[in-house]
This record gives sequence, C-alpha cells and structure tokens, in this order.
Amino acid sequence: MPDLLWFVLRRLFATVLVMLALSLAVYLIFYALPADPARLACGKPCTPDRLEQARHFMQLDQSVIQQYLAFLKGIFAGRTFGEGAAAVQCNAPCFGYSFPLARPVTTLIVDRLPVTLSIAIGAAVLWLLLGVTLGVGAALKRGKLFDRLAVGFALIGIATPSFLLGLLAILVFGFWLNMVPVNGYVPLTESPVDWAWHLITPWLVLATIQAAAYIRLTRAQMLEEMNLDHITTARAKGAGERRVVAVHGLRGVLVPIVTIFGLDLGALLGGAILTEKVFSMQGLGELLISAVGQLDVAVVVGVTLFSAFLVILANLVVDVVHGVLDPRVGHA
Amino acid sequence: MPDQTANNQGATHYNGSPRPVLEVADLHVTFKTEGGLVPAVSGIDFSVAPGKTLAIVGESGSGKSVSSAAVMGLLPPNAEVTGEVLLDGRELIGLSSEELRRIRGNDIALVFQDALSALNPYYSVGWQVAEAYRLHHDVSKKEALKRAVRMLDLVGIPSAEQRAKAYPHEFSGGMRQRVVIAMALVNDPKVLIADEPTTALDVTVQAQIMRLLEDVQAEFGTALVLISHDLGVVAEVADDVLVMYAGRAAERGSVKDLFHRAAHPYSLGLLGAMPRVDLPPRPRLATIPGSPPSPGSITTGCPFQPRCAYAHLVGERCITERPELTPRPGEGYHEAACHLGRRPEVML
Repeated sequence: MPDLLWFVLRRLFATVLVMLALSLAVYLIFYALPADPARLACGKPCTPDRLEQARHFMQLDQSVIQQYLAFLKGIFAGRTFGEGAAAVQCNAPCFGYSFPLARPVTTLIVDRLPVTLSIAIGAAVLWLLLGVTLGVGAALKRGKLFDRLAVGFALIGIATPSFLLGLLAILVFGFWLNMVPVNGYVPLTESPVDWAWHLITPWLVLATIQAAAYIRLTRAQMLEEMNLDHITTARAKGAGERRVVAVHGLRGVLVPIVTIFGLDLGALLGGAILTEKVFSMQGLGELLISAVGQLDVAVVVGVTLFSAFLVILANLVVDVVHGVLDPRVGHA
Repeated sequence: MPDQTANNQGATHYNGSPRPVLEVADLHVTFKTEGGLVPAVSGIDFSVAPGKTLAIVGESGSGKSVSSAAVMGLLPPNAEVTGEVLLDGRELIGLSSEELRRIRGNDIALVFQDALSALNPYYSVGWQVAEAYRLHHDVSKKEALKRAVRMLDLVGIPSAEQRAKAYPHEFSGGMRQRVVIAMALVNDPKVLIADEPTTALDVTVQAQIMRLLEDVQAEFGTALVLISHDLGVVAEVADDVLVMYAGRAAERGSVKDLFHRAAHPYSLGLLGAMPRVDLPPRPRLATIPGSPPSPGSITTGCPFQPRCAYAHLVGERCITERPELTPRPGEGYHEAACHLGRRPEVML
C-alpha cells in the first residue's frame, strides 16, 4: 500500500503542473483574441473615460503575466476588484470573477455542478448497465438473434448525434406521447421524483449513445476472454456455466471497461454541452458556451480548468482501480 | 504379466491387475463445421486402472487432446461424441451438463500444458485451488483455503501459506505447474488427465514435475492418462501406450512392447526421431517425411500410407483397405493397425 500512496502523491503533483500549464495556455489564448471584454462591460454609449475605468476595474490594464499571477494568487488569498464602496470581493479560493454575471467563478461552478452531476452520473449508471449486459449477452449468444439486435442497436447509437436523438426524444416522449417534461431541472433536494422525472429523457439519450461503445467493447472482450485457457480450466474444475461467465469471464472484461468508463465519466462531468443545450439545463457545459459568447474569460478559464481537473482525476482513479482489479499491474 | 484385452467390458479382471477405473470404447468425435463434418477421432479404445499410467502419443492433430476433452465433456457444442466412456462403470456420454459438472474436477481432473494461461490471472492461487474444492464440497471459504494450502504444500510449494496469497504471474513456470497439479488433485480424483504437462518447462523442471506426478499417483492411487509427444517421458513413467495417428489408434501395448517390439511403421518413425544418448551419435535426427493428413481427407486405405516407408512391401492393399488393429507378439494385448503382418525391418 505505501507504493500506492506514493503513486497517488506523485500523480497529484503532476496534476498541479498540468493545471498550471493549462491555465497559462488558456490565458494566453484569450489575451491574443482581438476582442475587448471591457468594452462589453462598459455598455453603450461608452466614453473612452468609462472604458478606461472599466479596464482598470477589471484589472485588464495589466500585462497578461501580471493578470495570470493575480489569478494564481487569488486561488489562495482571494481577490478584490476596485476600491471603496464599489469594490467587488472574490474570496479564496477565487478562480476569477465574472463581470457579465456579477458572480465569482467558484460560485458559478458550484451552482451549476449539481445539474451536470445529475445528468452525468445517472446516464453513466444506465449506460454501464445497458452496455455491459447487452455486450455480455451478445457475446454469449454470438451469431444468434440477440447478438444481431445488440450489435444493430450499438451501430445506431454510434451513428446518431446526441442532439438529434435528444430532439427526437423530446418530440416523441415529450410532445406526442406527453409522458415526460420537455425541459428544465428540479433539484434533487426539492423533489427526488421530479428530479428523476425531468432527467429521465436526457439520461436515456446519453445512455443510448454511450452504451453503443460499451456494447461493442464488452462483446469483443468477452469473446476473447471466453476463448482463454483459464476458462477451460474453470469448466474442468467443475464450475457451472453461469459461474464460469460471472466469476472467470467477466473479471477480465472489467479492466478495459473500467478504464474507458472512468475517462468517459470524467469528460462528461465537465459538461455535456449538447445535451444540456437540447434539454435547456443550466449545467457546466451551458455555462461554458455562454461565457465564450460573452468573452467572459474568467468563466472560460475556470470551467476549462475544472473540466481538465476532472479528466485528470478520472485518469488517476482509473489507474488506481486498474491496479486493484489487475494484480499484474504495479504502481511502483 | 496380465493377459488383458483393452476393450474388455464388464467385470473382467486380469491377473492381479485392478479393474480399470476409466474405460473408453469406440470413441468417435466429429465436428460439425461450415465445410461439413470433420472427424477428429474415429473409434479409439483405451482403459486405465487405478495407480497405472496410460500414455497417449501422437503428433499434433492426431486427436489426443480432443479425446481427453471428450472424456471430460469439455468439447464445444458443435462436437458430436459417440461411443462409451465408463467411469467406474458409469456411462458419461449423454449425462446432463449438471451431472457432468459434478464429475469434472471431482472424479476426473485435468492438468494443462501451459500453466500460466491455465490459471486465472486475476485471482490468487490459493483462491483458485480453494475454488476447485468448494465446487464439490460444501465447506466454508476458510476451510477450503486451508485444504488448498495443504495441497500446495503437498505438491512442494515452499511456505505454502504465504504463497497461496500470491498471483500466478508471481510464480516460476515449474511452481505454476505445481499449482495446477494441486488444483487438479484437491478433490482426490480417480483419474488425472495430464495434457503435455511438461512441454512448456525446462528439462530439469520437467523431471521434477514428472516425479511429482509419479509420487502423487503412488500416494493416492490415481489413474493417470498422460498425453505427450515426449517419448523419453513416456518410456519412463507409462505402463501402457496408445499411439494415435489421424484420429485412430496406430498401435497400442505395454510400454515394453512399444519400445522394444514396435510393430507399426509410424511408431518406429517416432522412436527413430527421438534423440538417444545410448546409441552412437547420428549426423541428424531421423524424421518422418510428409505431414499428417488433414482430418477427414483420407477415406479409404491406411491413413499413414502416404508417409509410410514400408507401403511398397505391401502394395495396393494399403491404399484400398484400412488396416484394423490386430494382435502382435508381446507381453499381452500388443496390437497394431498395419497390413505388414510381421515386424518391419528397422530402417533407422
């Protein structure tokens, strides 16, 4: 276990370096853009005086490096924009301040996170169950009707874009059949039933699309696994077919599935942009897209860093779980 | 010496020799493929008594591994198996999958060639040996693990209690094969089928593993079916030998008959291809020209005829008529399937 601890610490240290480089890159990219966020904040009509004031208030009159260092400092010490009564306080950990939305980025992310978490985790559970079950079933019934149906379903899932499937689902289940709400989000704490009821369509849409890859992967892995010698050993020991599949076959399939699953989930937690848009849900993806439209650099940097952090974290979790699942993998 | 006919059924006993625990008669295995029916085994008979060792010898594709899988009921669903497989007089062919499951690993156990791939990489060896025990005994996991540790100790794994927690990749090849043997023996089976158990090992380790198998056999009175192409090993441990060629028996008899009075040109070819230290060195090992026929391609005549160095002595009969097993001089039931009635002149 100390091996594992060192492994995690080393990886976390590397994560910090990656995040630093990433945040600097995002800053430089937005600094290079010809647009001026201060002009948007200034409003119309905008006198040169007011523009200069806005620029100073937003600390955009400093060099990019100064701005970046101020951003880094804010994470640990917090930041204050302006002076006196008009001053805007951004408490540590401050990942920037959104002037268009008049909120600290940290607050924005924390507010939006439950929506994205609800969508991503619910969909992930569904697609994992669906993908692995159909994939194992297809492998065991190779060439039979079930296999063909599962593979056909996977093909449709891979070929269909999420916004199209989302719109179709809204059209069919929301409007024609009038079974589910067509948009909006109800917090889990308010009403768990309404929460699930509003989320069921986006869950199913995301799960259908994601499950496709899992069906194919599980099926291929399972076919390979069931041909290995140790499966014959299990049968020769006197294990029944069900035990052979569940205890000896599935175990080897688990490793690649968990790998892909961790990465997919990590990416999705950064915001399912299209799905959130289609279902009018105010998640992280929606936050990021509107921030890009408003040249809200602070939000773009904050959400990008947060998403990147989730992906890196997912990678780390996958590597740790990998070592637990497969004794041949060492963390030294 | 026992006067045994291998195909005897019922309660026939030979002098002093115990009744066979495993009797296989007229075993046929046919695979249904898209290209039609492919016969892999076409009517073989063998039997093995408690504490005795039968070696099944032949080239790759001669049907030896398929025969053992058929006995275990481990063939894929597209294989059709007919004939008789009697375990202690009980017919195994046609049993339900649950009845067969109870026999597999319990009464008949299998030792595989490649221990690394035969063991599940995701579970500790102790768990795997214990699993084999728990599948046939209603005991707690803890008791099963205790039993597993005892077996690992018995097959010569040092500090078995600690090593039981280790995973297959943490063992050397020889130790892994010992684990596989412990797993096969954990239920004290009546019959142990070892499918080339030493092929993947170093020569020195091979000898250790064969000695282990002999020790175990002596201790538990297990009947051993040794599938091998290593005639050196066969000469050392086998009591009886069955030589298979293209899914049929080419020759069978006691180990002495086979090594001193081989009557089939194919057996002679195998013996000639074996490196010997007791003979003057030859510039190169003898080989049997050609390769075995693909299954099902020979319908008439002797399957070995195209490669046989003696076919010209017999003539057309080798092409038109398939030779049946007929008695040959020897210790007992020495038989060979060859039209050349007498023992061929050795042309090594």
